[in-house]
Amino acid sequence: MAPVPDPNNVGGGAKRDEATTKVASKDPKKKDDKKEDDLSEEDLELKQNLELYVERVQDPNPELQKAALESMRQEIRASTSSMTSVPKPLKFLRPHYGTLKELHKNMADSDLKKLLADILSVLALTMSAEGERESLGYRLTGSGGDIGSWGHEYVRNLAGEIAEEYTMRQSEEASVEDLMDLVKQIVAFHMKHNAETEAVDLLMDVEDLDLLLAHVDRTNFRRTCNYLTSSAKFLPGPDDMLVLDIAYMIYMKFEEYPNALQVALFLDNMQYVKQVFTSCSDLLRKKQFCYMISRHGITVELDSEMVADKDDRDMLQDIVNNTKLSEGYLTLARDIEVMEAKTPEDIYKAHLLDGRASSGPSVDSARQNLAATFVNAFVNAGFGQDKLMTVPSDAASGTAGNWLFKNKEHGKTSAAASLGMILLWDVDAGLTQLDKYFHSTDNPVLAGALLGVGINNCGIKSDCDPALALLGEYIDNEDSSVRIGAIMGLGIAYAGSQNDQLRSSLSPILNDAKAPLDVIAFAALSLGMIYVGSCNEEVAQSIIFALMDRSEAQLGDALTRFLPLGLGLLYLGKQQESVEATAEVSKTFNEKIRKYCDMTLLSCAYAGTGNVLKVQDLLAQCGEHLEKGDIHQGPAVLGIAMVAMSEELGLDMAIRSLERVLQYGEQNIRRAVPLALGLLCISNPKVNVMDTLSRLSHDTDSEVAMAAIISLGLIGAGTNNARIAGMLRNLSSYYYKDASLLFCVRIAQGFVHMGKGLLTLSPFHSERLLLSPTALAGIVTLLHACLDMKSIILGKYHYVLYFIVLAMQPRMMLTVDENLKPISVPVRVGQAVDVVGQAGRPKTITGFQTHSTPVLLAAGERAELATDKYIPLSPILEGFIILKENPDYREE
Amino acid sequence: MGKKYENVFELLIETTVYKKKPGRNRHDPTQRFVNPAPSKRKEPLTYDISRRPSNSVEEEPKRNKNKLVSLPSLQAIKQEASQFKMLTVSVKWQKKVFEGIEIDVSLPPYVFKAQLYDLTGVPPERQKIMVKGGLLKDDADWSSIGVKDGQKLMMMGTADEIVKAPEKAIVFAEDLPEEEQATNLGYSAGLVNLGNTCYMNSTVQCLKSVPELKSALSNYSLAGRSNDVDQTSHMLTVATRELFGDLDRSVNAVSPTQFWMVLRKKFPQFSQLQNGMHMQQDAEECWTQLLYTLSQSLKAPTSSEDSDAVKALFGVNLRSRVHCQESGEESSETESVYSLKCHISHEVNHLHEGLKHGLKGELEKTSPALGRTAVYLKESLIDSLPRYLTVQFVRFFWKRETNQKAKILRKVDYPLELDIYDLCSEELRKKLEAPRQKLRDEEGKKLGLQTKSSSKDGDVKMTDAEAPSNESGESSTAAQQEGASSSEKGTHMTGIYDLVSVLTHKGRSADSGHYVAWVKQESGKWIQYDDSYPSVQREEDITKLSGGGDWHMAYIIMYKARFVSM
Repeated sequence: MAPVPDPNNVGGGAKRDEATTKVASKDPKKKDDKKEDDLSEEDLELKQNLELYVERVQDPNPELQKAALESMRQEIRASTSSMTSVPKPLKFLRPHYGTLKELHKNMADSDLKKLLADILSVLALTMSAEGERESLGYRLTGSGGDIGSWGHEYVRNLAGEIAEEYTMRQSEEASVEDLMDLVKQIVAFHMKHNAETEAVDLLMDVEDLDLLLAHVDRTNFRRTCNYLTSSAKFLPGPDDMLVLDIAYMIYMKFEEYPNALQVALFLDNMQYVKQVFTSCSDLLRKKQFCYMISRHGITVELDSEMVADKDDRDMLQDIVNNTKLSEGYLTLARDIEVMEAKTPEDIYKAHLLDGRASSGPSVDSARQNLAATFVNAFVNAGFGQDKLMTVPSDAASGTAGNWLFKNKEHGKTSAAASLGMILLWDVDAGLTQLDKYFHSTDNPVLAGALLGVGINNCGIKSDCDPALALLGEYIDNEDSSVRIGAIMGLGIAYAGSQNDQLRSSLSPILNDAKAPLDVIAFAALSLGMIYVGSCNEEVAQSIIFALMDRSEAQLGDALTRFLPLGLGLLYLGKQQESVEATAEVSKTFNEKIRKYCDMTLLSCAYAGTGNVLKVQDLLAQCGEHLEKGDIHQGPAVLGIAMVAMSEELGLDMAIRSLERVLQYGEQNIRRAVPLALGLLCISNPKVNVMDTLSRLSHDTDSEVAMAAIISLGLIGAGTNNARIAGMLRNLSSYYYKDASLLFCVRIAQGFVHMGKGLLTLSPFHSERLLLSPTALAGIVTLLHACLDMKSIILGKYHYVLYFIVLAMQPRMMLTVDENLKPISVPVRVGQAVDVVGQAGRPKTITGFQTHSTPVLLAAGERAELATDKYIPLSPILEGFIILKENPDYREE
Repeated sequence: MGKKYENVFELLIETTVYKKKPGRNRHDPTQRFVNPAPSKRKEPLTYDISRRPSNSVEEEPKRNKNKLVSLPSLQAIKQEASQFKMLTVSVKWQKKVFEGIEIDVSLPPYVFKAQLYDLTGVPPERQKIMVKGGLLKDDADWSSIGVKDGQKLMMMGTADEIVKAPEKAIVFAEDLPEEEQATNLGYSAGLVNLGNTCYMNSTVQCLKSVPELKSALSNYSLAGRSNDVDQTSHMLTVATRELFGDLDRSVNAVSPTQFWMVLRKKFPQFSQLQNGMHMQQDAEECWTQLLYTLSQSLKAPTSSEDSDAVKALFGVNLRSRVHCQESGEESSETESVYSLKCHISHEVNHLHEGLKHGLKGELEKTSPALGRTAVYLKESLIDSLPRYLTVQFVRFFWKRETNQKAKILRKVDYPLELDIYDLCSEELRKKLEAPRQKLRDEEGKKLGLQTKSSSKDGDVKMTDAEAPSNESGESSTAAQQEGASSSEKGTHMTGIYDLVSVLTHKGRSADSGHYVAWVKQESGKWIQYDDSYPSVQREEDITKLSGGGDWHMAYIIMYKARFVSM
């Protein structure tokens, strides 16, 4: 490296000694005397020189003064000293700080005064008392030369003082123009010297992030944006949006479209999404964008501005519509060799349990068969084949028909719907197979078929809208189970689509006085799903009216909780401004539901924001000891998890707070805590949480135990985690007599082996940055249903378990070539390392292993390409990744 | 315009001709289809629904001649067609896409569905075609549906059979009456403790595990009662039968009130009171008395000889050699017992040793030779084997010095599989040779250890062994008896027994404590019957009931003979 004068050297040294010198300055005399003795000859000479300069500065002759000041500046700038101490000249000049200050005050305005001010400004670095901001003051009166010439530490100190000064002046409403000039200099300096984080901090302090745009360049924009996006999580609104806006602009400026798109999706700003498409001209990259959008699970209609050519547009729209998801998932499954269908018995592994092995009961138990139905559906989800439902019914008895009828009444609904889950994402095959149930005269079977269509179409959109076409006509069926099937199916199939046609057909149900409560509840829920995070006024109105129309008795029903939840989903993650009006209205509700509604709205509105204040609000709610019958603390506990789940630190804090709540809370809180833990660590089996849940799964209160068991399933969902599987197996023998608990254990086992370990339920994706609203809506709905396990999941509404399908996504990384055909390339998969604020090009993963794609990514893992032969079109290696051949690649 | 349509009609004719060609039942899916003639509108198309085309992906549905519409005159079509608009759409069905299907918007969608029937074989009423805003209705108006030229439609529907509920409704455990749910659990109910009646409960549970006893009881009726059975015995027998039945039917614990009353009536010693409570009793006494009563009442009334069911099941014939050392006298006697005793002394660590010990004894009796009482040595050997071998651990004894009943806590191991070959008499041993060899061979085969050469050896041995056994078999009365009792020709005892139930006592003293029954079910599961609470146990825990501590220890154990068919 060329010997560039590095200001860091000075800075680094001063930085470390700052603290000690400031303390030392209290009794300078004593220390100095001591030091005088052991000064080396060189230092002595320097000291004498400096003293001479100080004397000369006081000389009336301006020539002499100038020469002295120049030499003094020379000395200070030239001093590089060691890294661990204050630069010598500064040290020796300290006793004279007062003298020089005095001198400066008495000096007439001139260049000399400015020069002196410059020097004083530097000296103030160590001398100025806390809060005086003398350094800044002298700097402003100084000559204003190159700020970097005084070293890095000086700049840092100035930046700190500017921030203080700025807030002061803001409160006094004074002008800040002179400060801003300085800010510009400092930012330019920081940006040039690998201190992007400090530049960003300063700009945030002075509320002028736009300045950043002028200073970022190819070398530092990544680090800058990285810092911006990760700091956004800790900023209060609306600053966080502002920060992300800037990040978006920087990414756009440097044509880092995938990142820009990510930020746009985070901001939920369709304008930005569109802008990404219009700015980029490369069709292949647009395909990659489409994959990213499809993973996020939002509905985007591509228009001619975004993609000009119609054929191209159709193809891209296909990707956005997720039509290729099933294919990709099956590619993964074949590669990992897990296509072989599994039976529930393969999951239960009863032979590993001693004593009560095998010898299954001769008579079918409806409850156990229902559990097997769910387990079978979850385990074989998306594989298109299983051993219960899709077995060809060639024989007269018809095996497939048989299993369906091995479920009782409403159980048949879940059984028929499970076919939709098995054929998840594969609409063509799904509709074909479900067709046979459409002609059934058995209402539960028909309801299941309708629900199955919804599940089958989950996340897949199509021009033909098969789900709407098929289910639409059953919305007003006279049988309420069929109605619920159709309504829930639509909610799942069109989650997040904001489809007006559905609103106009579902809203009337809410205010239909004749409609049974369960139909109304599911209609509200489905509308909430369809309009998730949209803040749609009209839907909100309908649900509010529906809530007001409920009688006292109905408000006590377990299903009524879906009404406030539907309302809450409308505002999912949208924070205060949007939810305010509705929250006000909710205060007028019947007191039975008022608090519940309030908590649900609050927790939904702040879901995924990590807002600490809201967590505290919710915790305060949990701290109250209530009389019997109040149920609003359940959603409050869930709310803590919903708000805090977005980033790691808050998540860990929430886990710790929940432990406390568990110890001191009332029974209804204790029942919700396991569920909240399940949400916090969904598909991410943290050992400490696993232990807590394992403990709670033996709780004397069976509701707590059930919630803990379900949560064990949730935290291990799609991981095949052997430890959780073992725990559940033991629980299944522990609870073999209790049908309800055993049912929960079975469901949890189904969760753990979901998709034979290829799926995740985590609503977060793209390196934990983005939160898929529909996925979260699905999980939250399930958890709210679990708050009253006995009347919903263990009752006849067990099919609410299928809401989890909204969160089911393959946890894969699949590489495709330019023609979107899967190709296998080596990748390194390892634990992700947080590289925010680190200089240079730090390693992003640790403890990696090399695999060839497609690969599975566990929670907290990251992949990077292990070959230079290809260039990925997105820096975030998750889901579908298009690879382009590297033109510079040379075979070695 | 007109020109274009001419081509279409030419095509129509061509297609029709092509359709009529016999033997050509495959056609190109991309083949353009023309709608049937407009005149068809009035008379609805008729379809032969019974003809179900195969639904495989490769093979297109077969065409059927009689379905075809007779062609109207070309002229008429030309005139009509010029008034109507044609749309070309593609239809997606399952994984296939049918391109370029033409719709005549003047015709109701039913006609369009008919076209699709040709292509897919799905009957029109099973077709669901998705258009904007819902499904395509048969009588809808194309103009209001807003189908555009070149639009992709999606069709759902199959010609598969519609699922039907199975004719025989499936019965769920939850629906069953309580009694039937019991069978579901795989074990029967427990018995309520009526106040220190655990001795009785555990005895009943152990005896209930003998299916042969159950069946013998079920055949018992008042009519068949022989005269020498007194009223109380009869009542007890009936009560036992009823109790066994109740246990099998119920899920919840059964209260054996009736049985207990009858038992006390028959054996007044069980109704002793102590502080107003019924006293704790010895399970062994209950066991013996109950079995004795049953053996009396279950005796076949027809034959006077001892073809009694209980004896056939539990009776052990012992042949004893009584030997007086002083006089050198020797005599032999036979006796029949219902259980073997396992005497526990300091040398006894294992059931086998205890049994041997129990079969040897000293007795004092008047020696005819000496003219006074002398000590005789009695050595017994088993002469015939029961189906169920009961062994009683002699854990309680009378301490002379303190005049107390005491309990021996010594640990005596017992195996899950007992071989009593060496306790058998010479004759019996000979009979057992062959079946045992057979059993060994079978086990060897099971383990896959047997090589060809050794199997040959085995065969030779077997024939050797069989010869003497056949000879002696004829002479042995015991064998005949046995054959009669087992009533299964060709099955033979092997002298090997499997543990089926254990009656344990818990507690340090002989007068108090708690009795529990541990019974192996037909499913192979072990169930512990602690009064009203049955619970599943592991097999390895059963052998841990051997005493030597404060845990439950075996008092009476019952083995079931292992048979081999030859």
